[in-house]
Amino acid sequence: MKAEELKAPSAGASQGKLIALLVLGALIPLLPFLIPVSQYTLNIFMNAVTYAVAVLGMVVVLGYTGQINLAQAAFFGIGAYSVALGTVGWGLSFWMAAGSGIVAAGLAGLVLGLTTLRLGGHYLAMITISFQQIFDLILVNWVEVTHGPDGIAGIPRPSVFGFVLADDRFYLLFCVAVLYACIAFVWWLPSTRLGRAMRAVRENELAAEVVGVHTLRTKVFAFTLSAMLGGIAGALYAAGFAYISPDNSSFARSIEFLTMVLLGGVQSPFGGAMGTVLLILLPEWLRFLKQIYLAIYGLAVILIMVFLPEGIWGLVRGGWRKLVPERVPPRRSVPPLDFDAGRVADGKPIMRITGLQKHFGGLRAVDGIDLEVARGSVHALIGPNGSGKTTSLNVVNGIYSPTGGQIVFEGVDVTAMKPHQRAGLGMGRTFQNIRLFQSLSALENVMVGAQRDNNPIPGGRRGLEDRALAALDFVGMGENVHMLVKNMPYGHQRMVEIARTLAGHPSLLLLDEPGAGLNQTEKQELVALLLRLRGHGLTIFLIDHDMGVVEKVSDRITVLNFGKKIAEGAPAEVLRQPDVIAAYLGEAPVHGPA
Amino acid sequence: MAPDKHKAKIAARSGYLTNFMGEQSMAVRILGRAMAAAFAALALSALAADPIHIGLVNETTGPNAEAGQYTVNGARLALEEINAAGGVLGRQLELRIEDNQSTNPGTVLAYSKLLGEGGISAIIGPIRSTQVQAASPTIAKSSIPSVIGGTDPSLTKVNNPWIFRARPNDGYSSRVIADFAVNSLKLKKVAIVHSTDAFGSGGMAALTSALKAVGVTPVFVQGYTNNSQDFTPVVLALKKSGADVLATYMTNSPDVGIFAKQLRQLGVTIPWVGSPSLVTDTAMKLAGSALHSTFAIADFTPGANPEAKAYAEKYKAKYKLDPDVYSAWAYGALHLLAAAMEQAKSAEPAAVRTGLLNTCGFKSVEGKYCFDKNGDALHGYNVVKNENGRVVFIKTITFESNK
Amino acid sequence: MSALFDNLQVLFQGLALGSIYALVALGFVLIIRATNVVNFAQGDFAMLGAYAIVTFLVGLQLPYVVSIILALLVMAVFGMLFNLGVYYPLRNRSFLPVIISTLGASIFLQNTVLAVFGPQPKPLDKILNIDGIQVGGVFLDSQYLVILVVTLFAVAFQYFFFEHTLLGKKLQATSQDKDMARLLGIPVATMIAITFIYSAALGGLAGILVAPILFVSIGLGSIIALKAFAATIIGGFGDVTGAIVGGLLLGVIESFAAYYISVPYKDAYAFLALFLFLLLRPQGIFGERVSEKA
Repeated sequence: MKAEELKAPSAGASQGKLIALLVLGALIPLLPFLIPVSQYTLNIFMNAVTYAVAVLGMVVVLGYTGQINLAQAAFFGIGAYSVALGTVGWGLSFWMAAGSGIVAAGLAGLVLGLTTLRLGGHYLAMITISFQQIFDLILVNWVEVTHGPDGIAGIPRPSVFGFVLADDRFYLLFCVAVLYACIAFVWWLPSTRLGRAMRAVRENELAAEVVGVHTLRTKVFAFTLSAMLGGIAGALYAAGFAYISPDNSSFARSIEFLTMVLLGGVQSPFGGAMGTVLLILLPEWLRFLKQIYLAIYGLAVILIMVFLPEGIWGLVRGGWRKLVPERVPPRRSVPPLDFDAGRVADGKPIMRITGLQKHFGGLRAVDGIDLEVARGSVHALIGPNGSGKTTSLNVVNGIYSPTGGQIVFEGVDVTAMKPHQRAGLGMGRTFQNIRLFQSLSALENVMVGAQRDNNPIPGGRRGLEDRALAALDFVGMGENVHMLVKNMPYGHQRMVEIARTLAGHPSLLLLDEPGAGLNQTEKQELVALLLRLRGHGLTIFLIDHDMGVVEKVSDRITVLNFGKKIAEGAPAEVLRQPDVIAAYLGEAPVHGPA
Repeated sequence: MAPDKHKAKIAARSGYLTNFMGEQSMAVRILGRAMAAAFAALALSALAADPIHIGLVNETTGPNAEAGQYTVNGARLALEEINAAGGVLGRQLELRIEDNQSTNPGTVLAYSKLLGEGGISAIIGPIRSTQVQAASPTIAKSSIPSVIGGTDPSLTKVNNPWIFRARPNDGYSSRVIADFAVNSLKLKKVAIVHSTDAFGSGGMAALTSALKAVGVTPVFVQGYTNNSQDFTPVVLALKKSGADVLATYMTNSPDVGIFAKQLRQLGVTIPWVGSPSLVTDTAMKLAGSALHSTFAIADFTPGANPEAKAYAEKYKAKYKLDPDVYSAWAYGALHLLAAAMEQAKSAEPAAVRTGLLNTCGFKSVEGKYCFDKNGDALHGYNVVKNENGRVVFIKTITFESNK
Repeated sequence: MSALFDNLQVLFQGLALGSIYALVALGFVLIIRATNVVNFAQGDFAMLGAYAIVTFLVGLQLPYVVSIILALLVMAVFGMLFNLGVYYPLRNRSFLPVIISTLGASIFLQNTVLAVFGPQPKPLDKILNIDGIQVGGVFLDSQYLVILVVTLFAVAFQYFFFEHTLLGKKLQATSQDKDMARLLGIPVATMIAITFIYSAALGGLAGILVAPILFVSIGLGSIIALKAFAATIIGGFGDVTGAIVGGLLLGVIESFAAYYISVPYKDAYAFLALFLFLLLRPQGIFGERVSEKA
C-alpha cells in the first residue's frame, strides 16, 4: 500500500484530486486573512503547527526506522533555545540563530544515534530518557547561559525579505509553509534509498544489514533528521510565542510528541500532523473534564495501542481504500536478469576459510574448519542437528564474529567486516526462517537488495527498479510486485527472498536451508531454480537437510559433525562414507529443526 | 451609571447602522443617527444590570492543581461578598476561569482564549512567575489590566503597563528575611538553601544582594533540584559552614518536609527563616515537629491585621479549610479590582488601570495596598513563627514604596 | 573524625536510597524476564502502594500490619488487572507497543489518583515508633533500616521462591523460553499473570516502605522508577542480582556525587552513570553480552 501511495499518480483523475488537496491545503492558512479569527485560535494553531514539525521527526525515527526516541522535546529545546539565546542574547538574526539551532539539534541527534551502534530497543528508550533528563537539568541549573528556570522572553519574529512577520497571521502562514515543506519531505523520504533502508531496518534489522544496508548509518541518519525537525519546530515555536522556558522541552513534552505521533499514525507524515492537531485541540475541547482529562489521555494511549496500531490515519486510509479501491499501476517489462556484470573469472576459489572457530562460552559450535568454495560451483554444507552448520554460515556472513580463524572472500580478508560490508563485496544470503521486510511490497524488498554498495547496475531509482523487477521475473514472482510480502504465501515469500539477494548481483550466494517448510511441488521448483542459477554460473554455498535437494544440485559437499569437518568431496562419494552415515544414523530426519 | 463597554459597543453598532443606511442623503443619515442614539439610550437602561467580567487564569489541572483550587476558593469568596453587597457600580461581578494546565504555553492559550471571548474588564493572572513571563507579551497587547501573584521582581519592570501585582515581590521578601535575621535575631552568619527553580534562584539572588546592603555575605549558599529525595549532603555541608542562621527559598512542600526532618536528625538547630512555603498547610503537616520554632515570612497571615482575621474566619467557615496565601491573594486581588473600578467609576479596562494606579491605602488581607509606578501594590512581609504547629504572627516589616 | 562520620552518613543514605531503587528494580526485572518488556508504570505501582496504605492506615485507622497486608492484597489484584488491561492484549506484538502502552498506563494511573485523592502530599507514620538511632556521629533513620532489612528479605525470598519451589521454576522456565514452556505444559499466560501480580505487590511494598520518608504523592514513583530502571541496566538487563547491586551502587554514586560535586545535578549522575555503562559495558555488571538483535 505504501508503495502505491508513493508512486506519482499516473492518471488524470487522481492528479486532479491531488491538486484539489493542495489548493485546499494552501487556502487554510490564508483563512485568517479573509475572516476574523481570534488571537486564541491563532495561538492554538501556531502551537499545533510548530509541534507538528517536531512530530514529523518522530515519524522518521519511530515510524520509518522503528527506533524509539523519548528525547524529541530536548531537540525541540535545542532549536528553541538557540533562537532565544541567539536573537535575545547575542543579537543574531533569526535565520542565523535558527540555522545554528537546527545544526546543533542535528549534531545531538547524531551522537544519540551513534549509541544505537550497540544498543537497541529498551536501551535506546532509556538512553534517550537520560539525555532528555540531563538536558532538562542543564537548562534549569546552568543559569549563566540558559537564564535558568526564568526562561528567555522577548524573542523577536523573523523577517522575510525585509518584511517582519510581526502579525500573527503572517507568521502562522510562514510556519504552515515550513510545515508543508517538511511534510512533503517526510512523505517523499520512504521512496528514496535512505527511506527504504530505514524501513528495512524497522522491519528486520538483521536482514537489512545482511542484504547490504549500513544499518548503523541509517539509524544515525534517522536520528539526525528527526532531531533537525525537532530543532526546526523549536525555532519556529520560540519566535512564535516570544518566550521559552525549560518546561517547553521537558520529558513530559517528549511523551506528548510520542502520543501525538501514535494517535495520528506513526508511519505517515499526514498521520503525524493530524495527531498533533488533534492532541492540541482535544485538551481545549475537553476542558470541561478538568481533572480527569489527563487520565483519559493516558487511557487513550493504551486504547490506541490495542485497537489502532496504525493510528487514526490508518483508519482514515483504510476507510478511503474501501470506498475507492486502489488502482495497481501497470508494471513495465524489463530485460531478463543479467548475471554477468562484474563477474570475475580467475579460476581461483571465491572463498577460503581457514581454521574457523566459534565458541559460545564452553560450547565449541564451530571448531576449526578449513574450507574452499570454488568459483562457479554449488557447494553444500551438511551435517546432523547441532553440527555447526548455521553457526558457520552466520560467521561466514558476519552475523557472528569468529573466535578464531580467517575468511577470505574474493581475495579480501573479510573476517572483521560487518555483514553489510560483505554484502557490498557481493556476498548474498537467505535465511532459514524467512526474513523479509514484512510491511514492504515485494518490489521494495527486492529494491533494498539491489541498492547494496558497489552493485554494478545503472544508478537512480529506475536502475534499482529495473534490477528488482528482473530479479522477481527470474524467480517467477513477476506478478503482483506491489503486494505486501506479509500477505503472500510462504513459498512465494521464499522466492522473494531469493530475488532480493539476486538483485544485489551476488558473486556468492549463501542459502540457509532454502527447502525448509516447502511442499514437494515447491521443492521441485526450488531445485529447478537452483539448477538455473548454477547454469548462469553463480557460485552457491548452501545448507540443507533434504539430501534429495542437496544431491541434485551440489557439485561438492562438506560434512560437519560437532563443529568439525568429517568429510568432503563429490556428493556421490561423500554420502556413501561410513562415518557420514554414522553421523546421521538414528538422528537425521529429512525435515528437522536445525 | 452607564457602563462604558456597552456604550462603546452600541456606538460601534450605530456607526454600522449609519453606514448601512448611509450614502443616500444627509437627512437620512441624521435621522439614522438620531434613531441610533435613541436606540442606544433605550438599550443602555436595559443593559445596565449586565455583569462585569473578570478573568481568572488559573491552574485547574496539572501539577499545581492543588494551589489552583485554593485560588478559585479565595476569588469565589470575594466574588460572593462583593455581589452580596450590591456588586460594583451597581453591576454584579462574574468570574471567567480559564485553566492554564500549570504550564507556560497553557497560560498563553488561556489568556488568548479569555481575550478572544472579549468583554473582560480585568484579569487575575497566575501566581507563578514563569507563567506571567510567558503571558507578558500577550498581556501587553491585550490592553486589559492583569493583576498577578508571581513574585519575581522583574515582572513589573519590563515596561508592561498592564501588569499589576497584588502581592509583595521577592525583592521585599529577601529584604525582610535579611532585615529580620540581621536586625531582629542579630545573627550574621547566614546560610542560604534554595530550590534551583525560578522562584528559588530568584529569591537566592535577591537575598544575597539584600544581605549585601546590610553588610553581610552569606557563609553558605546551596541550591537543590525540586523533588530531591535526600538532603543529607546539603545538611552536612551546612553544618560544616558554621552558619548561625538558615534562610531558605524552597518551592515544594515535600522538599520542605524531607529537608526539615533531616536537619533535625543530623542535629541542626540554628534559627531558620524561610520563604512562605514553610508555613503552608501541607508543609507543616508533612514536616510535623521538625518545623517547630522556625520563622517564615508570609504576605498573608491570619493574625496580621483585622482584614486578614475576618477573611480567615469566613474562609474556614465556608470551605472547612485553613486559609493560605493561594486563596488569600486572589481574594485580595478581586476586592482590589472592585475598589479600583468604584474609584474610576468605570469597568472600562483603561479606566480600571488608572483606578489601580491611583489606589493607595486600600486595606485588605495582605495589608495596605498602595501601587507604585511599576504596578507593585505591596511593599513588605509579615514574619511569622511556627509554634508547635501553630502559625503565630510576630511582626510586619514594610518598606517605603518608591512611588 | 567528623569527616569520617560525614562520609559514613552519606554512605548510609546512599545505601538506603539505593535499596529503594533495588526494590523497584526487582519488580522491573521480573517483568522483563517474563515478557521481555520494560514496564514504564512500575514506579506507579509504588505510588499506588503508598496511597493504598494511607487509605487503610490513616483513612480507615487500621493497625499498621493489617494495613500493609491489605495494601499488598490490593496491589496483587491491581497487578492482575494491569496484566489484563495493559499487557495481555498486546502480548503478540513487538516490544514497542507494549512500552508505549505502559507509558499510557502511567499517565492514566497518576491522574486517576490525582482526581481521587487530590494533589496534596500526605504524611505517613514510620513503621517503628522511633525516629532513628545515633551511632557515633551517624544518624540511622529507623525507616531506612527497615527498608534495608526488608530489601534483604525480599531478595532472599525471591531467591528461594525461584530456585526451590515448583511455581518458581515454572516461572523461570516461562521467562527463559515461552515456546518450550508451552510445550512442557506450563500455562504461560497464567505464569505471566502471576509475574505481574508479584511484581505489583513488590512495587507496592517499595511504595509502602518509602512513603514515611518521601511522603505520599502522585510523583512518588516516577523518579524512583527511572533510577530503578537505570539500576537494572547497570546491573545487567534482566538479572536479579544485578538489579540489587545496580540499585545500591546507583544510590551510593548519587549520594557521594551530590556531597562532593554538586547537589543540583544529583539526578544527572545516575543518568550519566547509565550513559557510561551503556557505552562502555552495555551488558551491565552481571549481564551476558547484549544481543537484542532482530
